Amino acid sequence: MKIAISGWGLVAAAGCGLTAADRAFGLPELPLREVDRGGGYHRPSGARLAALVDEAAYQPWLPARLARRMSPPSRFSVVAAKIAMERAGFAPPPAAGEPRASEPGSSTPPLDLSVVISTSFGPSSYTEELLRQIFHDSPTAASPFLFTEAVANAPAAQVALALKAFGPNLTVTGREAGPLFALDHGKLDLENGRAGRALIASVDEMNSLLHAGLDRYGALAGSRRPRRGKPAEIEVARPFDLRRSGFVAAEGSTALLLEPLDEVLARGGRPVGLLGGFAAAFDPTAEVASYGREPGPTGEALARELRRQGIALEGIDAIVSSAAGSRQGDAYEALLLRAVFGAFGETPLPPVLAPKAYAGSHGGALLGFTCWLLDGGRPAPTPGFAEVDPELGIRPYSGESLPSAPRLLLSAPAVGGGSVLQVLEGLPR
Amino acid sequence: MVIAVTGMGTISACGWGLPAFWRTLAAGESRVGEPREFDTAGHRTRLVAEAPPPPAELLAELGSDPRWKRLSRAEKFAVAACREAFEDAGLTAEDAAGAGLYFGGSTAAMAEGEGFFRAITGRRTDADGKNSRPRVAEVAAHPLDAPAGAAARFLGIRGPVDSCSSACASGALALAAALDALRSGRVEVALAGGADSLCHLTYAGFNSLRAVDEGRCRPFRTGRAGLNLGEGAGILVLEPLERALARGRKPRVVLAGAGASCDAHHMTAPHPEGEGASRAIEAALADAGLDPSAIDFVNVHGTGTPLNDQAESRALHRVFGPRAARLPLTSTKGVVGHLLGSSGAIEAVATVLSLQHGAVPPTPGEGEVDPALDIDLVIGAPRPVDARHALSTSLAFGGSNAALVFSRLDPQPAGDAA
Repeated sequence: MKIAISGWGLVAAAGCGLTAADRAFGLPELPLREVDRGGGYHRPSGARLAALVDEAAYQPWLPARLARRMSPPSRFSVVAAKIAMERAGFAPPPAAGEPRASEPGSSTPPLDLSVVISTSFGPSSYTEELLRQIFHDSPTAASPFLFTEAVANAPAAQVALALKAFGPNLTVTGREAGPLFALDHGKLDLENGRAGRALIASVDEMNSLLHAGLDRYGALAGSRRPRRGKPAEIEVARPFDLRRSGFVAAEGSTALLLEPLDEVLARGGRPVGLLGGFAAAFDPTAEVASYGREPGPTGEALARELRRQGIALEGIDAIVSSAAGSRQGDAYEALLLRAVFGAFGETPLPPVLAPKAYAGSHGGALLGFTCWLLDGGRPAPTPGFAEVDPELGIRPYSGESLPSAPRLLLSAPAVGGGSVLQVLEGLPR
Repeated sequence: MVIAVTGMGTISACGWGLPAFWRTLAAGESRVGEPREFDTAGHRTRLVAEAPPPPAELLAELGSDPRWKRLSRAEKFAVAACREAFEDAGLTAEDAAGAGLYFGGSTAAMAEGEGFFRAITGRRTDADGKNSRPRVAEVAAHPLDAPAGAAARFLGIRGPVDSCSSACASGALALAAALDALRSGRVEVALAGGADSLCHLTYAGFNSLRAVDEGRCRPFRTGRAGLNLGEGAGILVLEPLERALARGRKPRVVLAGAGASCDAHHMTAPHPEGEGASRAIEAALADAGLDPSAIDFVNVHGTGTPLNDQAESRALHRVFGPRAARLPLTSTKGVVGHLLGSSGAIEAVATVLSLQHGAVPPTPGEGEVDPALDIDLVIGAPRPVDARHALSTSLAFGGSNAALVFSRLDPQPAGDAA
């Protein structure tokens, strides 16, 4: 069974909807805003900016009366899911009353739809607010509404409610690797007959407490204190660059609708791309908050799994990486990719794209950028990149020509040890 | 492809390890009580099902390991349960390299993250009364996949480590994911289950919903008033039957099928007629190739909340018809409390042990079984059953449902005792 991506939707700092993707991924400027520092969590110096979603941008898809019952990740996910359904050709949900996913041209039959959503930290701001109630006021002051929306699977539940999705409902938590795990779970739901269609998404929220925690950990571009005689670092992601110093915090969501290709074509849909091979491996030398020390063996394990599935890497037109400007993470990914392609005897690497340079670091960036690329979008040369790191030997995408239906390899090594690869096939437009 | 269960490990208020778990379960002893470590001061209720400290043998082996010392409580549960399951299955380091880990949980290191939050907001004091400094290490394990990663690191797993957080269905959904991975040939052997620890966020949260019983929970009883929160882990080792037999292992049972669904009805309340839960059960039965009449007993989710137990009993009636009134049911919640993200996993462990022992453990709880539910709840003493197939159900926040079917392997193949 060939599984197609039949629709996709984006919620990002650059806006919502498919036209916003041109701003999110096509421009070198990342719209950054000051993170709320009122909670008192931040150090006096350090990172201050993040790519945050503007509430007003998603209101056309989510009326305020519904949004107020949801945490930000639930809102992002529901909006991204609705946009994905529209792109797939399904009639938009009714404007009033309970939104209902429907067959094209009809508004009644519910979909046999599974929902798989990836998140790293869950609904952070509602968790923070709930903790504040519990520890600053009293445990009995805890709000039942906040608790309901603070659980990690609240976004998946809200998407199911919005789309009347009665299939399996799963929330995966593999950090950077999570979005590709979600994609694979959706594919398996279809292949194993557990659902007729799968709505998969990735969502992350960046709130004040999480931002401060990442900053204190030194993970963010701009985290480092200014040194004497040197200006303070600024929030610019520099994937694979010699001077990279961390990632740019961001939030948002991307949703994809997966369907059997035959069904998409039969109903006159316009598929975005096809899912190819998937491989996952773990590097046990990683610590909970770091990458591993064995990208070579991990890459070889990934290559073995792709080969077992009969997947070859020849003809891969581009790699869509998870590189975000992390010193350790980008180095790990570069060595991992070299090991994977080396195992196939394929060197040098094809062009390496870095979506998080354009959109900041959130799980939706990888999937959204990829769909945009498959849908004909073409990025500017990688922003923030200036100088090759000789230890990595990777010069990220600098405007090379890409075919109209590219064959892509998505790469997602994660903090904590997980690594995932996914092959996606473009379709002639 | 037949997928065998060749090893298990568990931690709960019953203790660390399988023998303590089954002994307590079979005796129908509630381990819900006053906490030793978890501070319930200021909360609406006081009772929990808290895991005891790690056993001396484990501490003698790991206690001085700096990696162990750095772990959160939930990570320690995950590591210890995975080690027990790994040893129970007789796996080797070479097996670990080709193994995958499929893991569910709901809060990971939230308990430790709460300490960080209190410190960073000036609400935590040292012994000398001064504000305690927040330590970044306290939030290092905050990501929801941290317990899975910790277990994979300790065992040297190099295959996929796939972690999920779908509230109370997480553990069962992790087992379903492992089943898919094995059937597709992606991994040779899989460890699957979940772990969770007590924390204030969930304790206050469930209390805010008035979903916690002030006394010990009373699943399916008249006057039931809610759940008790517990903590711990449950892990199963899964592998193709042929592989298990080839290496001389006698499987405990077979994981015959898995099903999942969503109510898409309400964020916290289950569908009152059990529509979603019944679809998950039917999907699991179809996946196992079984008719409902083949099921001999059910390890139900059975939280003790009025809504869950009603919806679940109706789901069983939808699937099993009049036979639902005669089908032996048991819930572990009265013994170990509600383990949230790992509840589906520890209930899978209980189901496997029940099949192996030929006995359905009783469900402790005061009061008569609610006659309106029209069910056959096992109470008082274990009920002997010559069971071939058993069902385990999980119903979660957000309407996510999961069901697993386990089957005894008859005739038992030759092999070393597991």
